[in-house]
Amino acid sequence: MGELFSLDFMLGLFPQVIVALPKTLMIAGISALIGLMIGLLVALVRYLNIKGLTLISKVYVSFIRGTPALVQLMLVYYGLPIVIKIINLQFKTAIALDLPKDVFAILALSLNAGAYMSETFRSALQAVDVGQLEASYSLNMTTAQALRRIIVPQAFAVAIPPLANTLTSLIKETSLLFTISVVDLMAQGRIIASRSYRYLEMYVVVSIIYWVVCTILAKGFNRLEKKFRKYERGFQHD
Amino acid sequence: MIDVKNLNKSFKSNHVLKDVSFSVQQGEIVSLIGPSGAGKSTLLRSLNWLERPDSGTITINQSTIVAGQESKQAVFDLRQHSAMVFQHYNLFKNKTVIENVTESLITVKKVNKADAQKRAEAILEQVGMSDKLHDYPSRLSGGQQQRVGIARALANDPLVMLFDEPTSALDPEWVSEVLEVIVAIAKQGMTMVLVSHEMRFVHDVSTRVILLDEGTILENGSPDAIFNHAQHERTRQFLRKVQQF
Repeated sequence: MGELFSLDFMLGLFPQVIVALPKTLMIAGISALIGLMIGLLVALVRYLNIKGLTLISKVYVSFIRGTPALVQLMLVYYGLPIVIKIINLQFKTAIALDLPKDVFAILALSLNAGAYMSETFRSALQAVDVGQLEASYSLNMTTAQALRRIIVPQAFAVAIPPLANTLTSLIKETSLLFTISVVDLMAQGRIIASRSYRYLEMYVVVSIIYWVVCTILAKGFNRLEKKFRKYERGFQHD
Repeated sequence: MIDVKNLNKSFKSNHVLKDVSFSVQQGEIVSLIGPSGAGKSTLLRSLNWLERPDSGTITINQSTIVAGQESKQAVFDLRQHSAMVFQHYNLFKNKTVIENVTESLITVKKVNKADAQKRAEAILEQVGMSDKLHDYPSRLSGGQQQRVGIARALANDPLVMLFDEPTSALDPEWVSEVLEVIVAIAKQGMTMVLVSHEMRFVHDVSTRVILLDEGTILENGSPDAIFNHAQHERTRQFLRKVQQF
C-alpha cells in the first residue's frame, strides 16, 4: 500500500472483474435483439403510415430520445411493479411482482435501443429506391412479400453501421445497471474495489474491458456490412 | 385485348389524364408519344395499376377494373395480364440476375424452385443474358440490366408488355441491344404498349401510334399517318422538335 497507482493490483483485478462480463453481454445481447424487433416494427409503422399507431410511435421515439437512459431505467424499475399490480387487479391475474432485476434491466434497455434503432431503420427504409417497391407490386407481390424479400434486406444492409453504434451505446449503458443492483461489469468492479478502496485501478480495468469489447464489436460489424452489401458496386473488395 | 374507357387522373390540381379512351388489339404494338407532361407515363402505369386513376375503366382480356371501386382481386388480375418494364430497370438490387427472374414465379405463382430456375434460364437466354446468371445488377451495364428487366417481365407470361421509356436512361451505346430484344419479342406476336422517345424505333416497330397532348389523345393512327400525314399542327410541331437531329 501507499503506492499512488498499483499496476500489480490492477492486473490482479482483471480475472475478478471479468467474471461479470457474461452478464453484461447477456443483458446487452437480449436487449439488442428485442430492441431490433421494436425498432423494425416502429419503423414499419412509420414507413407504411399505419393510422393510429403512427402517433404512438412518434411519441415513444421522441420521449426516449429526450430523456436520459438512467431516468428511463428508474421509470421502469419503479413503474413496472405498479403496472403489474394494476393488471393483476384489473384482469384478476397473478403475475409475480418480484421479477428478477435482469428483467427490469432488459426491458428498460430494449425500449431505449428500440427507439434509436427505429430511427435508423426508418431512414434506411426511406433510402431504398421506391422503384424497388413498384417493381414488386408490378409482379403482383404483396406489400408483406415486398418488405420481407426486397425492401427490408436492402434497408438492413444500409442500417448496419448506425446499428453498430446503437449496440455499442447499449453495452456502455449497461454500466447504469448497478443502480438497480444488477451485478454487471461495473457493479462487480465496484464491489471488488470497495474491499480495497483502490477505485482508480478498478475503473481502469473496467474501462479497458468495455473498450476491448466495443472495438471487437465494431470490427465484427464492419465485416457483417461487407457481407450484407456484397451486391453493391464497390463492396466486393476492401 | 386492352380497352381503356374514360380514364381520368389528377395529381392535386394538375389534371394529367382527361377522359382518355383507346383500345389495343391482340398482337398490336402501340406507341404512346407526345411532349413531356402529356400523361404518357401516367397512362401506361395505370395499365399496371402503379397509378390509381380517379375514374374510368380498364379491361385487359376480360378482367375489368373500375377506378374507385377496384378489388384486390381485380388489381391482381390486371397485373397478371400486364407486365411492366421500367425506365430505370428497377431490378431487385439484393437479388442476382436469375433470382430477379425467379422471384415472382416462386413467391407469387408458387412454382417450385427447380422449375422456376429452368424457366428463368430459358428466358434469360432469349435476352442474351445466360452468362451473367449469378451476377448482381450493380455489376451489369445499363443495357444488360434492362434486358434482365425485360426477362423478369416475360417470366410472368403476360398477355401485354408495357414499356416505360425503356431506353431513355441508357447510354447511347446500349440502346440498340435493348431495342433489338424488344423487336424480337414483338415478332413473336406479343401485344405491347410502349412509351418511347426513339422516334425511328417507334416509326419502324409500331403498328399504331397514339399522340398524347395535355392529357388527351390528339392523334391515333398508323405510323405513316402520324409521321407523314398528321392531322394537327401541334403534332407536326412536336415531330419537328424531336426529329430535328
